[in-house]
Amino acid sequence: MTASTAVVSVRDMVKSFGATRAVRGVTLEIPRGSIFGLVGENGAGKSTLAKLMAGIESPDSGVLTISGREQSLRDPHEGIKAGVSMMAQEIMLVPDATVEQNVLLGSMPRRGPFPNRKEMRRRYAELVELTEFDLDPKAKVGGLRVADQQKVEIMRALSQDADMIIMDEPSAALTTDEVERLHHSIREIARRGSTVLLISHFLEEVLALTDHVAIMRDGELVRVGPTSGETVDTLVASMVGRALDTDYHEPKPQADGPVRLSVSHLTRTGILDDVSFDIRQGEILGLAGLIGSGRSEIARCIFGADSFDSGEILIDGEPVRPSSPHDAIGQGMFMVPESRKEQGLVLGSSISDNLLLATHRQRSVGGWVSKRTQWAVAAKLAESVDLRFNSVKQAVGSLSGGNQQKVLFGRAAEVDPRVLIVDEPTRGVDIAAKRAIHETLEEMAASGMAVLFISSELEEVLGVCSRVLVIHRGRVQAEFKAPYDEEKVISAFFGQSGLPHD
Amino acid sequence: MIERIRNYGIVGVFGLLFVVLAFTSPSFLSLQNGANILDQSSVLLILAATTTVCIIAGIFDLSIAAVATASAIMTVNAINAVGLLGGVILGVLFGGLLGLITGVAITKTNVNSFIGTLAASFTYRGLGLILAAGGLVTIENEQSAQTLRDVMEGKYLGLKGAVWIAIGFVILVGVVLAYTVWGKKVYAVGGNWQAARLAGIRSNRVLISCYVLSGIGAGVAGVIYAGRYGTGATNAYPDSYAFTAIAATVVGGVSIFGGSGAVWRGTLGILTFALIGNGLNLLGVDTTYQQTILGLLIFAAVAADQVFRRKSA
Repeated sequence: MTASTAVVSVRDMVKSFGATRAVRGVTLEIPRGSIFGLVGENGAGKSTLAKLMAGIESPDSGVLTISGREQSLRDPHEGIKAGVSMMAQEIMLVPDATVEQNVLLGSMPRRGPFPNRKEMRRRYAELVELTEFDLDPKAKVGGLRVADQQKVEIMRALSQDADMIIMDEPSAALTTDEVERLHHSIREIARRGSTVLLISHFLEEVLALTDHVAIMRDGELVRVGPTSGETVDTLVASMVGRALDTDYHEPKPQADGPVRLSVSHLTRTGILDDVSFDIRQGEILGLAGLIGSGRSEIARCIFGADSFDSGEILIDGEPVRPSSPHDAIGQGMFMVPESRKEQGLVLGSSISDNLLLATHRQRSVGGWVSKRTQWAVAAKLAESVDLRFNSVKQAVGSLSGGNQQKVLFGRAAEVDPRVLIVDEPTRGVDIAAKRAIHETLEEMAASGMAVLFISSELEEVLGVCSRVLVIHRGRVQAEFKAPYDEEKVISAFFGQSGLPHD
Repeated sequence: MIERIRNYGIVGVFGLLFVVLAFTSPSFLSLQNGANILDQSSVLLILAATTTVCIIAGIFDLSIAAVATASAIMTVNAINAVGLLGGVILGVLFGGLLGLITGVAITKTNVNSFIGTLAASFTYRGLGLILAAGGLVTIENEQSAQTLRDVMEGKYLGLKGAVWIAIGFVILVGVVLAYTVWGKKVYAVGGNWQAARLAGIRSNRVLISCYVLSGIGAGVAGVIYAGRYGTGATNAYPDSYAFTAIAATVVGGVSIFGGSGAVWRGTLGILTFALIGNGLNLLGVDTTYQQTILGLLIFAAVAADQVFRRKSA
């Protein structure tokens, strides 16, 4: 591949964050007009490499070439000028500005010093045509759902007329339907001659979309080549450095223990409508459905994080009505929340403090904590959830996503509740960590907990749970039992009834 | 490297100042000068300790100077009403009560602490004015006034009583923050309010407790004033005390984003300010420059914090 056909190439790229060597000497060429996949476990260095290409991070050493010219980018603005724009993994929008303003933020058309509204409208319409995203251009971004905010990010990246657009996990928060539209726009971008660098945990997506794929592990490039020869198994084998079967094990038979958690007629006006279900001891009940269908709201109401208008919750036959998470924990519940960074972890604090966040009181002597005891307890917990770490005194923010999630499970194990709610426990987590999390969950259920398992990834819900409820518009749309008819489950997502729920 | 500068830069600055002053000014290293520095800083040491706790919890309390002033007046009034010991206790509790009111009002209404405590500050200054009936109150019983003055101004092991009170208070707050469950909660709430709540910590209660502690610290400052001067005046502590406490905390290396830091940092910040002031005086530098130098130092500390955040993000 000569320099002229590569839109972006890097040579011997190195980038460290403190003691962590995120990218260790990567050399890679991305051909113009390609859809180029970049895969690897969490913490493999994919996002960092991409940020180096877009000028969001500066390399410690190495050469970056964009369209044949060597570049040393100082900030994302220079990256955009050089022709590379990146759609970040975390959403970076201006919440109080409108969709249209956010989309055209970096490339606002002007007439003199004033924004050119007519031109804005024309450019926005063009982008809508390209993406087929139907968003109200005048809506405030802060009020949109995450999936819609992500669409805004995609449109913004497209608006910058980049030679290469980097998309970091663009489909993670999208529904099946939206993912299809995203894929359509990615193909459309490539057809128009731009290049797309796609970072994704969804290997099927990478296989279906990309023409080249590069695999990273521990900050190094494992290999790169045409996608046509790859399968999920070959990619996974290179990602983890060992063969690992990606199939979920057979679901367990239906639980037949006594009912542990019973929820009846749970209603929160406008959000939840008459939700009822039971979970038995040792059972993992799945809650599936589209993002925004009300799955997380059910969890938050049960856990006392949000209030509800009517309904009854029983644990082991005793009525409970938690008014706060503090209350709910006292009554035998615990929740691993949806977003580990915003709701789960105190990122600047140590692994030890995070593991013991809910149980400092119990581990104290009359309110005084002993660091030694803490570290010992934390080390044990960390081991029990298969955490990969150097020291329990290390800041939790320095761990990879999968390991951060394991910390939350360690905290749950430490609380040892009767009812455990887990909301999206494996979002953005690599396969090995996901496996470890599923095993932890199964162990916890086997010890007698009733587990409510929420996930946007249907394969996962069906693989982990022997019984699944599909939530649609705040109602229980249907109930399914293993073995599943996947098509029926999916149609329930969109409001078609499967088996009648009793 | 940057992390280390941020974490221990202030220790270096303090050490450097100390050494430079020791070599350039013969009177600096005298015990008398050290005792003077501590005496001038005693109230600020107390206020910086509670301010550190508040900032770690993710809140600012701008009302402390106003609370301390109102407490000084309350202490005098209470001594006149119920006697010395009861008066002193009531004076401290009054500070705590004002902190409780601030905390409840702010957490219930979800007002930003900066604005909320600014409003509280005006309110409590007004309250002080009312309690002082518009001006100055004086401890009527000569005996009581003398006893309290002896406690605050009398020397014990070379240091004034007020200094010992400050040292005791700072150590107590530091130890409690570092080694109790409550302290862990303060760090968690400041680091991530939402996560702390979902882990079963009653985040708002923790915040309220910080406002109460802040009020108690201000109450102690009020008692010190009443002791030193035998009076409670509406201008006992100007608001610059609150700003200085916040600035010292930041210069000491406590992140204004909350969730990290320690009480000794606020202490070191105040002592650094004192050294700069004292040193410049001993060296005969025009006092006009002192404020500017302090301002630059504060800015450098905040900038270092910001740079560190970006590097580690």
